[in-house]
Amino acid sequence: MIEQIIFYSLSLVAVGSALGVVLHRNAVHSSLFLGLSLAAVAGLYALLGADFLFGAQIMVYVSGIAVLVMFVVMLLGRASDLHLRQVNERWPWALLVCAVAAVGMLKIVGLFAAKTAQTSGYPATHAIGRLMLGEWLLPFEMISLVLLAALFGAVFFTRAENAQ
Amino acid sequence: MTLAHYMGVAAALFLIGIFGALTRRNIIGILMSIELMFNAANINLAAFNRFLHPVGVTGQTLALFVITVAAAEIVVGLALLLAIYRGTNTVYAEDYNLLKG
Repeated sequence: MIEQIIFYSLSLVAVGSALGVVLHRNAVHSSLFLGLSLAAVAGLYALLGADFLFGAQIMVYVSGIAVLVMFVVMLLGRASDLHLRQVNERWPWALLVCAVAAVGMLKIVGLFAAKTAQTSGYPATHAIGRLMLGEWLLPFEMISLVLLAALFGAVFFTRAENAQ
Repeated sequence: MTLAHYMGVAAALFLIGIFGALTRRNIIGILMSIELMFNAANINLAAFNRFLHPVGVTGQTLALFVITVAAAEIVVGLALLLAIYRGTNTVYAEDYNLLKG
């Protein structure tokens, strides 16, 4: 019972603030809604028993990406953006695409309607560390290269204009 | 709670993300919608891990990789966006038509 209450309230916050991200006219409010939605998703991870993922979501998404997006939103744009339409004129077609995708997804979700968890969740941090430095060592090193490339790329793209 | 509940929430987040990425005029709004889609995929990965393969942690580890790639993507995307903004002085995606010839 308590699990249901937590699940539905977290889902409501996640989906509702995701709608706020997409539909809100003010981009600063959108980025705040993004942080809220990501935090609610972190709560869903905790409910799933994924403790390390919960921490990573809070640290990387809520306190990293959402704040970064907020900074850029405040750097760019003008005050007049608040009076402009923020949705392009082809939104009915986008709604059609979403409706078609929703029908397909509902069919797939229906296949798992009776699937309940057999065991209770357990702390996964130790196992994730073992997996990352054992069987998945090569992807782990590759992802660090990706991060390094992103770091250099960000510095390069923001400095290239200054040099001129 | 069944697996279908979590998949339903993830599907809703993904559809909202698709709608935002297709309709937002603001390029930062498009990037935020893409982040929503990444999160929907991550919920599915963690839920499949919990319900279909509870003895392993493969799904959670894959979700961690997705988080890392998403962080790299948003950093490079925002840096590119700042560089584009210096040249065009606009944040609206339909004004980025420098390559039209």
